[in-house]
Amino acid sequence: MERDIGKPLFNLFLMITSAIAFVVASGIPDFEIVGDLSPAFFPQLLSGLIFLLALPCLVKDVNEWRMAAGARSQSAGVSRKRSIAQWLFIILLLIGYIVSFEPLGYIASTALFTFVCVVGLAFVSGVWASLSAIERGKSLIATLVFALLLTLGIFYVFTELFNIPLPT
Amino acid sequence: MSGYIDGLGMVLQWGTLLAIAGGTLLGIIMGSLPGLTSAMAIALLLPVTFGMPPVAGIGMLLGALCGAGASGSIPAILLNIPGTPSSVATTFDGFPMAQKGEAGRALGLAIVASFFGGVASMVILSLLAPPIAEFALRFGPAEYFSLSIFGLVIIASVAGKSLLKGLIAGLIGFFISTIGTDPITGVGRFTFDELSLLTGVNLLPALIGLFAISQVLKDAFEYDPYERMKESAHRIDNARPLFVETLKHWKALLIGIASGSVVGPIPGAGGSIASLVAYDQTRRFSKTPEKFGKGYAPGVVSVESANNALLGGALIPTLALGIPGEAATAVLLGGLMIQGITPGPLLFADQSGTIYGIFLAYLVANFFMLLIMCLGIKLFIRVLMVPRKQLLAAILVFCFIGVYGVDGDVFNLYLMLGFGVLGYFLNRYDFGTAPVILGLILGPIAESNLRRGLQSFEGDWTPFFTRPISVTFLVIAAGLLALTLWQNYRSKHPRAT
Repeated sequence: MERDIGKPLFNLFLMITSAIAFVVASGIPDFEIVGDLSPAFFPQLLSGLIFLLALPCLVKDVNEWRMAAGARSQSAGVSRKRSIAQWLFIILLLIGYIVSFEPLGYIASTALFTFVCVVGLAFVSGVWASLSAIERGKSLIATLVFALLLTLGIFYVFTELFNIPLPT
Repeated sequence: MSGYIDGLGMVLQWGTLLAIAGGTLLGIIMGSLPGLTSAMAIALLLPVTFGMPPVAGIGMLLGALCGAGASGSIPAILLNIPGTPSSVATTFDGFPMAQKGEAGRALGLAIVASFFGGVASMVILSLLAPPIAEFALRFGPAEYFSLSIFGLVIIASVAGKSLLKGLIAGLIGFFISTIGTDPITGVGRFTFDELSLLTGVNLLPALIGLFAISQVLKDAFEYDPYERMKESAHRIDNARPLFVETLKHWKALLIGIASGSVVGPIPGAGGSIASLVAYDQTRRFSKTPEKFGKGYAPGVVSVESANNALLGGALIPTLALGIPGEAATAVLLGGLMIQGITPGPLLFADQSGTIYGIFLAYLVANFFMLLIMCLGIKLFIRVLMVPRKQLLAAILVFCFIGVYGVDGDVFNLYLMLGFGVLGYFLNRYDFGTAPVILGLILGPIAESNLRRGLQSFEGDWTPFFTRPISVTFLVIAAGLLALTLWQNYRSKHPRAT
């Protein structure tokens, strides 16, 4: 079994978040209605249950983590780093897309996002380094065409077929 | 009968037929691509259905489910890679048939068996759902509360890899549903002065985040630039629907339909179980069981008919009670609610035209599936060659524009991303995402009915545990929890022999 610290860490994250939610819920104002429960009842009950149920999961996952095999091979380590880089790249790119969407407008931000997404994944995954100059040029042109076609195609579908306005 | 006539009028319109055909086409494309699920196909289509009439919108989503269910057989037969989890059993005989040079024949049988399975399940759905909904008309707040708890427990027990984690996922969804204005007192809960949160967490970014963005993040993590989808070496020149040959294997077809219809309504059972049950039973009843696994046509027929028969069965609790059985129907339920349709018994009583229109739309989707698969089978095989990078980018843009386009609120985009990251970790660490959606949908039903019930019973809890239907749901839920815990215990502490 491969060691993955993420499992116990995620349980810990759930416990901390639910504890914070429980405390925040205690600040919800109460209203007296005959027979009714407080508006804070369900948030507190649910966050409390999540905390209590996450505890045995944490203990179990920590035990599994301690018993699992230790160090990874060098190639597995490189592959994992590449995977994490690809994952983070997509998250950061999405945040960038959200931030730039209204200021730049749909067409510019979407074309840029698509282009950077495809080229960036090739770069982060390491495949870009293995391409010759001619292949890189071809790849850039093909990606540019793809980005423009996708952007305009979706623009047409949403604005013309479904009458959904997009920022321009 | 008048409900069917009204429904037929809603379905037989160009816009509705086009929507169903479009949904079926997208479902077929998504189902052909290993790793992309039918739940993701529906989630991607949700924003598109916003402006449509209910029957057209839901018909589009059902078309996607129907198409994805059938097209998972393409990579299963040609490449030995199931396109969807329910196509695992198709590889058992489908791929050996392809190796014997019968790929076209296997595909022809799979398409027709899927079609028969889908049509039969629509008949079963239309026969069983109305009486169940009629029975559910007797439900009051106590019964609805118990039913919501029952639905949440049942999906949590089977969706995650562990009972505790499934329950946690359901509770997370339930907790998120409490964000917004309190349904009884109007007090703000966890809104942090954010206007977009006053009406609660929007279901659309939650659905797209949990089922589409999380999948893209998983694909991004696992993306291997040097991995190429191998092209099938098998000839498929003779791929055409084989009606006569499929009907010759009538016993396998009936076993498949029966398996799918029985397993379908069981929450959490899912397509892979239905198809494995169908395969196993067909082999058991066969006079030549030794031929199974070596490229035997009845193996393909039973599995593929079970796959599509499952959907009609799964729609019974979804539409009649508002309790979906697994991820795809949970997303479909979200789609219904976004359309302003509240699934459950009142839907059958108040909007019979719409509900029968949905039944008929599902029937029409099966015909479109047959037609589109027959005409475009060679094209869909090419879909397997689409580069993953471009596909990821296209899906992300579609999700993004879909969520933004509905109400132009950038906050929902952040919400979608947040749900995507949450969904990624929930899937990665074995919690599952289906219980979260169930919690989101059933949470408000459980809370408002419990509180309404308590108000009407003047704070007395006992009616929740003494009314027969209510206590039945609670006892079954408790029994299921106990059974799952017992099974977990037995699997870890096998009895010494």
